[in-house]
Amino acid sequence: MEGALVNALEAIALGAPVGIHGNKLAAFEFCQTSFVLSYYILLLFYLAYWQFVPAASVYGSSWEDWRRIFAHTNFVSAKWICLPVHGAVIGAWFGAWPMPLDWERPWQEWPICVSYGALAEYLIGMVASLGFVLIRGRQHHQKGD
Amino acid sequence: MSVSSITCKRLTLLSISAVFIQLIGLSLFVFGFFPVKLALSGVSGPESYRAPACDSNHNHTHTHTSLPPPQLRSLYQDLSGIPPSFDRLIFMVIDGLPAEFVLGKDGKPPRKAFMEAMPYTQSLLANGMAIGYHAKAAPPTVTMPRLKAMVSGAVGGFLDVAFNFNTQALLDDNLLGQFLSIGWKMVMLGDETWLKLFPGLFTRQDGVSSFFVKDTVQVDQNVSRHLGDELSRDDWNLLILHYLGLDHVGHIGGRNSVLMAPKLVEMDQIVKMIHTSIIQTQESDQGNTLLVVVSDHGMTESGNHGGSSFEETDSLALFIGLRNHVSDYASATNNTAYQVDIAPTLALLFGVPIPKNNIGVLISETFDSLKDDHRLRALELNSWQLLRLLQAHSSGLSCGNIPYNGFSDSKTTGTTACNGSTEKMLCCLYMKAAVLHNSWKSKQVSESDRWEVYSSTFAAYHKFLKTASEWLSSRATDKPVNLLASGVAAMLLSCLIFLSLILRMCREVSLVEKQHLSELGSNSQRWHLDETFVLGVIFILVVSMTSSSMVEEEHYIWHFMASTLYLVLLRKTAQLLPAGSRVFRGQNIMSSVFVLLISGRILRGWHQGGVNWTYLPDISKWLEQGGNDLVKAVQLVSGVMAICVGLYALSFFGSKKIIVQVVGINFCIAGLLVLQYVMRYQDNTFVPSSDGATLLAQIIYAILGSATVGTVVVIPWLIPIHLSDMGSSHNIYLSTLVPSDIKEKSPLMEIRDSLYVIGWSYILCWCLLQLLLQQPINSMPILLLLVQIMTSMLYFSYSRLHHKEWVEVSALCFLGMAGHFALGNSNTLATIDVAGAFIGISSHSTLLSGILMFSITYASPMLALLSMVVYMSVKSYLVVPQNVDSGHLLKTMLGFPCLVPLGINSILLTAYTIVLLLMRNHLFVWSVFSPKYLYVCATTVCIYIGVTIVAATGIYAYLVLVMRKMKRFSIFNH
Repeated sequence: MEGALVNALEAIALGAPVGIHGNKLAAFEFCQTSFVLSYYILLLFYLAYWQFVPAASVYGSSWEDWRRIFAHTNFVSAKWICLPVHGAVIGAWFGAWPMPLDWERPWQEWPICVSYGALAEYLIGMVASLGFVLIRGRQHHQKGD
Repeated sequence: MSVSSITCKRLTLLSISAVFIQLIGLSLFVFGFFPVKLALSGVSGPESYRAPACDSNHNHTHTHTSLPPPQLRSLYQDLSGIPPSFDRLIFMVIDGLPAEFVLGKDGKPPRKAFMEAMPYTQSLLANGMAIGYHAKAAPPTVTMPRLKAMVSGAVGGFLDVAFNFNTQALLDDNLLGQFLSIGWKMVMLGDETWLKLFPGLFTRQDGVSSFFVKDTVQVDQNVSRHLGDELSRDDWNLLILHYLGLDHVGHIGGRNSVLMAPKLVEMDQIVKMIHTSIIQTQESDQGNTLLVVVSDHGMTESGNHGGSSFEETDSLALFIGLRNHVSDYASATNNTAYQVDIAPTLALLFGVPIPKNNIGVLISETFDSLKDDHRLRALELNSWQLLRLLQAHSSGLSCGNIPYNGFSDSKTTGTTACNGSTEKMLCCLYMKAAVLHNSWKSKQVSESDRWEVYSSTFAAYHKFLKTASEWLSSRATDKPVNLLASGVAAMLLSCLIFLSLILRMCREVSLVEKQHLSELGSNSQRWHLDETFVLGVIFILVVSMTSSSMVEEEHYIWHFMASTLYLVLLRKTAQLLPAGSRVFRGQNIMSSVFVLLISGRILRGWHQGGVNWTYLPDISKWLEQGGNDLVKAVQLVSGVMAICVGLYALSFFGSKKIIVQVVGINFCIAGLLVLQYVMRYQDNTFVPSSDGATLLAQIIYAILGSATVGTVVVIPWLIPIHLSDMGSSHNIYLSTLVPSDIKEKSPLMEIRDSLYVIGWSYILCWCLLQLLLQQPINSMPILLLLVQIMTSMLYFSYSRLHHKEWVEVSALCFLGMAGHFALGNSNTLATIDVAGAFIGISSHSTLLSGILMFSITYASPMLALLSMVVYMSVKSYLVVPQNVDSGHLLKTMLGFPCLVPLGINSILLTAYTIVLLLMRNHLFVWSVFSPKYLYVCATTVCIYIGVTIVAATGIYAYLVLVMRKMKRFSIFNH
């Protein structure tokens, strides 16, 4: 779960509120892109796809491994598998934009729209990735023939 | 090398011409867009008591103003037909008093502390002796335009703000001029703005300066000391009192300052004193006096003003001594009006013509004690005046379609609804009122109908007046299209020139880079996230400018962009580090980005800026709650740390330590003096600034100025000349890319060394100056900005070729803008720190305090620009001199640090100009978009200044060193 810490720090650096000031404070903070949701998705992906490394907890204090995780999210030989992960991060980033607008809608509250953004982009990434899988699969199939 | 190579001379000429084109375009646009007040010339005379002329506009020019004052006075009285209710007027202005303090808000009484602070005023309101209004002031809510609005009834142009510090005589038709023409004697005590507006008008005067913002006591005592004497005299008709203390209390401590309640008590006692004396004169039958207590504007929670929020525009208009009695407290306090309504009300009450450009509507409750026909007459006079103004503004409103004497069809006209174009509607509304009034006057109606006709006439007049007033105040002037179009075109042109220059430079650099990279055998062309992101930031900024909320909350965007940019840099760094290396350098470079991220996050949390969510907790509020001592401790710590950081950075300098030591000692002394100033004089903010403080501040200015200028001038002459590359081999920023034969001839090393020292002395000088000038709470952000700048320099010096140079320069610019908002600035004029602008100035000087105010507001962008000098030195290993003479070195060195800020700014300026043009009919154009435009213009000026300094420093150092090197070279060879 060290990975959670990294992502939480990332979110704080982008402006997520530190400490528990209650939801009111957090509500309209704009640049706090939450990576909470996206993080869990990331983690799931690490666990699901990244099979040649046992688990995230293995890394512990290994500086090099952490650097690689952060720098090369396209660590798997097939790049397209990471599309949903990238999508979630980018979606969370864009999801933060409506927060300062004065529309006074309930969903503008932190971290709702950020999470929606992450989720939406994640789904898009999923579909895209699925498409890649299918296309690749067919190509592979044809090659096999 | 390549065919597209652009010579240094041509580059310079092109950029300078682009700057000039931009300046011309900007000034054309500003003068075209911001309305110069639409004003009728001349002064209202007896003709204002006749209905507006039908045929030609103003052909009866025989003026009666040549009449001696007493005759004119009786003429006005005869013509108006309204008996004057009062003989004398006391006009008491309490600067910055929000009406909320006296009248409460939304039907609720004011806060208990304020209620108790003003017992007499509150009892007057409760007894129906006074009637108070929330008089909405028009932005900009600063003193001079508001005083003009109150005496002339006209709303000034937006650019009046810019001239607030440069008050000039009010030449337009106004109440005081009218009073003078009927022979009134006037006395003014208080803010000397009045004296500047009306020079030579007052019989007696005692002006106090609004200059020492920290003085809250003396400034009001100077007004009150004459009050007893003046009240006992009877040789004046108008007494103006302008108390500044309350505004100063607000500037120091905000609405909830501990000094607020005592100040209100003081004001209440003055009201009591005046009212008691009024009652005495009334009892001894020496005439009636009306006391009008007004405030020019309100204040925000933190005590600032200038913008258009409710808190700032909620000014007071309190009439004491009207003969009608208001029934209950609620109806005496729960009224709204406009600030401009004061002018026509007073004009009609005192029997002078309404000023020509007035757009206000008389406050009808103040006429309640008059007879019905007098009240209608007052409404009629107001309508005629507005109608004249309407006719002047709109040619569609010709007299032909106003048959104001045809009351035969009164019944039909009275019932038809008015619609159609605004002009037609206004005509129709006026006609309706006039017809009804005529039928009322003609006494055709029976006694039973009389009240009904009266009330419908009253309502009709009111409807016309309200509609006309609103239309006039909201009406944007006809913008000169040619001026605006040519302005925008010029800005676009200069923007294109800048962009093409940058593009050209980029292409050249990439060509050179390719040669080197092919030598080094590294791959070059791939998708760069950081470059895309920087372009994306500019795009996002342009798009976000179109939304009023995004303009109000712009700080969020900058912080978000800056921190995302750091993350992108972090990722890129992590990617580019050679796998498996656990070298010191790699961790160092990563940790520098972490420092950037962390300090950026603290800066972001320092001030909860913007407009809508300023009440949320932030670090500065938290520290201020901790008390003065805590703030001061933080300030001292950051002062010491800033000096340490600066000296540490200077200590990186490799050769000839003695120069650095001298420079360092100079700044140490200045820094210690700043700390002493902080210790001694910022101890208690309530103490009026003393001579000692001013002297010390002046000494600090002198030391900082001479140290910096001295460093800049002397360093290029003193820096040791390397004749071989041996001496510099231990420099941390050394590179081996330069062939040694060229190194001998070109002053590359020396330029690098001297620019490093000069750059740091610029940065240190600026930071120390800001530590002195900024509010105490802002000292820590200044330190953090300094740390950010230093870390960026370290990062850039490590990162070598990983980033394109323009990416790094724009990152510095973004850092500067994020810091701008971290220092508590926003896009409203209210956050400009006025108090700091008078530090170290002993006499009033618009220019000097303007410069100080500018440097306080643009502390951070300027710091980022000044750091470009260090950046040039840090990055100069990229400069690969092909030949010594062509100025190629100068071009490569100065090109990006100067062109990129200009380019980014020109994009933003041009885009925002177009946005402003598109938004000209937006509801918030004057309150949100126009102030932002002023900021954009000021940023442009800031960029010009910064870039000029950077370029001048670079060129000067280059020329001196080339000369020395040549000399030395020839001596060496002989």
